[in-house]
Amino acid sequence: METLDYLLPQVWFGILALFLFLYVMLDGFDLGVGILSLTSSTEERRSILMTSLSNIWDANETWLVLMGGSLFGAFPLAYSTILTALHIPIFIMIFGFIFRGVAFEFREQSRRKFFWNIAFGAGSFLAALGQGFALGGVLEGIQVDAAGHFIGASWDWLNWRTILVALTLIQGYVLIGSTYLIWKTEGELQQTHYRTAKLAAITTLIGAILITIATPIFYESARTRLFSQPLVYLFALIPLLGVILIGLLLRSLDKKSDRMPFIWTILLFLLTFIGLALVVFPYIIPPTIPIYQAAADPSSMVVMIIFVGALIPVMLFYNIYQYVVFRGKVTAGSYGE
Amino acid sequence: MDFLSDTVVLSRMQFALTAIFHMLWPVLTTGMGIYLVIVEGLWLKTRNKDYYYHARFWSKFYVLNFGIGVASGIPMEFQFGTNWAPLSEAIGNFFGSVIGFEASWAFMLEAAFLGIMVFGWERVNPVIHYIATILVAFGANLSTFWILSANSWLQTPAGVELVDGVFVVKDYFKAIFNPFMLNSFLHMFFATLETSLFVIGGISAWYILNKRHPEFFAKSFKIILIAVIAVAPLQLYIGHLSGEQVYHYQPTKLAAMEAQWETTPAGQPADWSLLAIPDNKAERNSWEITVPNALGYILEFKKELSEPVQGLKEWKPEDRPRLVGLIYYAFRIMIAIGFYFAGLMLITVLQWLRGKLSAENIAQQKWLMMGWILSAPLGYIAVEAGWTVRCVGRQPWTVYGQIRTVDAVSNLPPGDVLGTLIAFATVYTFLFFAALYFGSRIIRKGPNFDLPIPGVEEQPALDTTPGEFQPDERPVEAQQ
Repeated sequence: METLDYLLPQVWFGILALFLFLYVMLDGFDLGVGILSLTSSTEERRSILMTSLSNIWDANETWLVLMGGSLFGAFPLAYSTILTALHIPIFIMIFGFIFRGVAFEFREQSRRKFFWNIAFGAGSFLAALGQGFALGGVLEGIQVDAAGHFIGASWDWLNWRTILVALTLIQGYVLIGSTYLIWKTEGELQQTHYRTAKLAAITTLIGAILITIATPIFYESARTRLFSQPLVYLFALIPLLGVILIGLLLRSLDKKSDRMPFIWTILLFLLTFIGLALVVFPYIIPPTIPIYQAAADPSSMVVMIIFVGALIPVMLFYNIYQYVVFRGKVTAGSYGE
Repeated sequence: MDFLSDTVVLSRMQFALTAIFHMLWPVLTTGMGIYLVIVEGLWLKTRNKDYYYHARFWSKFYVLNFGIGVASGIPMEFQFGTNWAPLSEAIGNFFGSVIGFEASWAFMLEAAFLGIMVFGWERVNPVIHYIATILVAFGANLSTFWILSANSWLQTPAGVELVDGVFVVKDYFKAIFNPFMLNSFLHMFFATLETSLFVIGGISAWYILNKRHPEFFAKSFKIILIAVIAVAPLQLYIGHLSGEQVYHYQPTKLAAMEAQWETTPAGQPADWSLLAIPDNKAERNSWEITVPNALGYILEFKKELSEPVQGLKEWKPEDRPRLVGLIYYAFRIMIAIGFYFAGLMLITVLQWLRGKLSAENIAQQKWLMMGWILSAPLGYIAVEAGWTVRCVGRQPWTVYGQIRTVDAVSNLPPGDVLGTLIAFATVYTFLFFAALYFGSRIIRKGPNFDLPIPGVEEQPALDTTPGEFQPDERPVEAQQ
C-alpha cells in the first residue's frame, strides 16, 4: 500500500506533465500565430493564418481542459489552491480565450473584420500573458497554511520575475508560432516568418538565460535542489543542450529549412519543460505541498488511470489523424466555404 | 446593496451567469449533431443533393455555436477552483475525475473530428466524413452524459464516504449512476434534442413562410416533425419521472416548486397550486389559484398521496430554499413550454394528415408556421428554467444535505469577484447579441447551392445497385 501511495501520485504527475506539455506545444503555436496575426499587413495574410488553425484550435485548447479536469480529479487540493491563488492570471487567460475563440467564426461572418482581428490577436496575447503569469506564480511559490489552503493575497503573483517569465513565454509562443507558419505556408508569408522566428529565438534565449540565472538566486528551494548531488549534473546538462538546440534552430532558419525549425523548437520546449518539471517535482504547490499530500484518494487515481490514462493513445491517434487529413501548405484563406 | 460585499452571493451570481450563458450554446450543438447525422445519412443513402446542402447549411449554425460553447465552457471548468476551492477539495475525488472523463472521452472526440466535419468535405471520402459527423454528435452527447452524472451526484450523492471533510469514492458505479443520474441525463438529452429540433423547425418555417426555397426547407421541416412526434411526448413523460424523483429525494425542492408551506400527510389528497404569490416572510402564499386534489394526480396519477408532501415550514428557514417564487415560476414556465411543444406537434400532425403540408399548401399555413417560428427560442427558455429549478431549488446545499453553499466558496476578496462578475456580464452580453446578429445573417443569406458535391465524379463507380436496362439509343447506323 505504501509504495502505491507514492507511485500513484508520481504516475499522475507524469500524466499531467504530458498533458501540459502537449498543451504548451500545440496551443503554444496556436496562440503564437494569434499574436503574430497582429503584425499581419493584409486581410489575405490574416485569413491564411487563421485558416491554418481553424480545424485544430479547439482540439489544441482541449488539452488544457483535459489537464484541468485531470488535475481536479488527481490532485483536488492543488487544483483548488493554485486556481484560487492565481485567480487573476487565470481570468486574464480565460477572457483571452473567449475573445480569440469566438473570433474565428465571428470574423468569418462579419463584413468589417477589424474588430475581430483585434479580438483574435489581442485575445491570443492575453491568454499567453495570463499563462505566463500563472507559470511565474507557481514557480514563485504559493503561500499556504499547513493544510495546503491558500492564505496569500490576490496580487502575490505579480513582480518583476513573473513579468520576465510571462514575457519569455510569450516570446516562446511567438517562436513556435513562427516555425509552425514556416511549415504550413509558402512564399512571401513564409519568408516573413523566417525573420520573426529568428527574432523570437533570440529574445526567448535572452529571457531563458535571465530566468536560469534568477531561479537559483531568488528561490531557496530551487537552489538547494539544483545544486544537490547528483541532480546538479543533470541540471548542468539542460542549459548546455538548450544552447545546442538554439544553434541548430538558427542554422535551420538560415538554411530556409521547411520543417526542421518547428521540430527543433518543439525539442527546445520539451527540454525547458523537463527542466521546470524537475525543479518543481515533487511539489505540486511549490514550495511546501508535495504531490503526496495533495493527491486524491488512491481509488480515484486508479480509476482515472483506467478511464483517462488508457484513452491517451486513442486521443493521440485521432489528433494525429487530424493533422494528416489537413497536411500540406495553406495557400489561401478558405474557411469552410 | 449589501451583496456587493458578500463573496458568497457574488460567486453564486457569477456561477449562475456563466452557467446560464454557457448553456445556450451546447444545447444546440448536442441536439443538432444528431440532426446532422440524419441528413448526411439520408444524403449518402439517397444521393439526393438537397440533403447534402442541408448538412452544409445547418452545420454553419453548429460551428457558430460550438465556438462560443468552447469559449464559455472553459471558464466553467476553472471556476470550480478559483471561486469554489473548498468545494473542489471536498468533492475532487469523484467530481474532478468525472470532469477528467468528460474531457478525455467527450471533448477531445468532438473537437478532433469537428475539424474534419466542417472543413474536411474535400479532403476525406464521404464515408470517413460521415464517421466524423457521427463521432462529433456522439462526443457532444457523451459530454451531456458525464456532466449530468456530475451534477446529479451533487443532487443525490451516492457511492461515497465523508472522511475528514473529503468525499472518498467507495463505489464508482454507484456514484456515476447515482439515483438522479439516468433520468436527469435522459431529460437533458431530450431537452437539447427538442430545443434543436424546434430551432431547425422554426427557421425552416420562416423560410417556408417567406417563400424562400420552400421545397428545400419543407424537407427539413418534415424530418423535424417526424422526430418531434416521438420526442415531445417522451420528454413530458421523462419530465414527470424527474419530478417524481424530486418528490422522493429532495423534499425541500419539491415544496418550493409547488409553493407548499404546509405538510400534506400520506393518504390524503392535496390541492395543486396553478398560480401563486409566495410570501417568504409570512410563510404562506399571499394569493393563489389552486386546482383541488390535483397534486396527487400530478405526482402519482392518483388522488391520494402515498408519501407525505412536506411543506416548507417543516424546515428552519436556513435549511430550505429562499427564492421560492423563482423556483415556483421557473418550474411552471418549463412545463408550459413542454406542453406548447407537444400541442404544436399535434396540430401540425393534424394538418399533415389533412394534406395541408403538401408542397403547394404549406406556405399558406401562416398561423401554423408562425407557431413554429415562435417555438425556436422557447426550448432555450425551458432549459434555463429547468436548470434554475434544479440548482436554485437545491439550495442551501451545494452537495444536497452534505455541504452548504456558504461553506463551498473560496475566500476571495469581494472586490475581485465583483470585478470578474462585471467583466463576464459585459463580455457575455456583447457576445450574446453578436451571436444573434451573425446567426440571423446566416439565416438571411440562406443555403449556398454552389458548393461542390464531394465524390460526384466517382459516383458511377460507387454505384453498386443493379442498373436498369438502358436501351442503346444511338442511331442504328452507329451500332453496326
